[in-house]
Amino acid sequence: MDDHLIQVLSNIGMITFIALSAYVLLLTGEISFGQQAFFAISAYASGIATAMWGWSFWLGLLWGAGVAGFAAFLLAWPTLRMRGLYFAIGTLAFAEMVRLIFEVFHYQIEIDGEMVGPNGSEGFRGIRYIFENNISEFQYMMIIYALLASVLVFLFAIERTRVGAIFRMLGEDELLAEMQGVNRTYYKVMATVIAGLIAGIGGALFAHMNTYVEPKIFNVMLGVHSLAYGLIGGLGTALGPLIGVSLDIGLLESTRMFTGYRMVVFGGLVAILLIFRPRGLLDEEAVHAIRSAWRRKTPSTRQQSEIDAPD
Amino acid sequence: MLELQALSKHFGGVHAVDDLSLTVNRGEIFGLIGPNGSGKSTTVNLICGVLPVTAGTISFEGHDITSAQPHRAVAAGLARTFQNIRLFSHLTVWQNLWVAQGRTDGHESSRFVKRWLAGDSTARRSVSDLIAFAGLSDRGDEYAGNLAFGEQRRLELARALATGPKLLLLDEPAAGMNLEEVRELDERLRQLVERGITILLVEHVMELVMGVTDRIAVLNFGRKIAEGTPAEIQNDEAVQEAYLGSSNKA
Repeated sequence: MDDHLIQVLSNIGMITFIALSAYVLLLTGEISFGQQAFFAISAYASGIATAMWGWSFWLGLLWGAGVAGFAAFLLAWPTLRMRGLYFAIGTLAFAEMVRLIFEVFHYQIEIDGEMVGPNGSEGFRGIRYIFENNISEFQYMMIIYALLASVLVFLFAIERTRVGAIFRMLGEDELLAEMQGVNRTYYKVMATVIAGLIAGIGGALFAHMNTYVEPKIFNVMLGVHSLAYGLIGGLGTALGPLIGVSLDIGLLESTRMFTGYRMVVFGGLVAILLIFRPRGLLDEEAVHAIRSAWRRKTPSTRQQSEIDAPD
Repeated sequence: MLELQALSKHFGGVHAVDDLSLTVNRGEIFGLIGPNGSGKSTTVNLICGVLPVTAGTISFEGHDITSAQPHRAVAAGLARTFQNIRLFSHLTVWQNLWVAQGRTDGHESSRFVKRWLAGDSTARRSVSDLIAFAGLSDRGDEYAGNLAFGEQRRLELARALATGPKLLLLDEPAAGMNLEEVRELDERLRQLVERGITILLVEHVMELVMGVTDRIAVLNFGRKIAEGTPAEIQNDEAVQEAYLGSSNKA
């Protein structure tokens, strides 16, 4: 594989994490403009762990995702009472706050005669674990995709359980979900934390591939894109965000088909989809139709309801 | 079974429900009627915990549920339908009924894993029962939003039953029904009572209310102006004046 391709695929993989993070919240009916904050928190936390504390990559990744998940847990409480537009504004404000905190966050220590650590708006250089341990770009790409596959399997599993149905119920009609006995607070916090963890995995991967991070990478455009990916690819399945990212990064950015006009094309694509397929290419109905077609192909004499019971 | 004591709900200066006391006994069908804006739906929302109470208490089977969150009220054994049909239209008929099977109040995580591994056949069976009760046996895989109006009405009732309620609050279930359908509903409600479910029926359609209920309370401007058997209510002068007006339809 040539280097350019590896880099593109690695980028697609990493950005898909944050797109999936926004997707989980979209399922529950919340539009978050702030998932880049958890991406950033984990990028810094995992970078600090490996570059400054000497932790291993995997431990750093766990730590980063954990810190991001905890931050999401803390954010869940004040934003719980916010709905719709207010939730969007609340998450946006939170993400900007996090970015600005990193602008002034100084925490450096001397390693081998060199200052390492976050240095405010100068960024955080020297997250070199991958290079120091001779992990090739190809190997790192495989790590990204192995983790992505695990997250996707996890999300598929959730979709087939009651929790997945509850997320979609909350997304469609919160009051009705509550009248069906759903503890809204519990499941909303759960969705927020899952979203934070997923964004956190992506953030740790990002920091270690780039070897350096700076606050302005995690601006609001990253959040807007990650939302758009789910809406383009479709909200019917966790593959939707992956399709959205592949279309944008794989097709528009990497092929340089529309150099300079990429954002115009991307914006147009979003607008067209919002008109013709408001819930994305692979929306619920499309997924349902595909599944039914698949089922008809596989011979089975079982009752429909037995196949259906998704537990 | 359900006891409202001096229940009040004020929206600013508007007394939507004012000093309302009533008792619903186990096994009966209790009718709540009144002109538009008399506070019937507000009362239902107060009982379910959707709206906070201004004053007064609500107790259900001896437990105080005045300030219980909706899912707690459901866990206690309350379920409701809505004035306008409310379903999860992007979920299948099956999924609409499945989620409420077993209480989803958040303390089920460990049991949940077990059930997931075991394939929870009880829940599956009771969902099938409910689908059959709603007469939707061959429609289980259909999106709720694609059902016909009558089917959606039946699914909504099944959806409320899926939580396993002891008391069912029905908010104008006969709205938009023709006489034939009203008779069917009447029959269905009687079946539910036989199954041991108590019903609080908020309704405009007098053919249904007068025929099926055991007792009726009449609201006007948030206050209870009469209570009694259907026959007593029909002959009550205050009711005729406030609700039925001069043209006594009932």
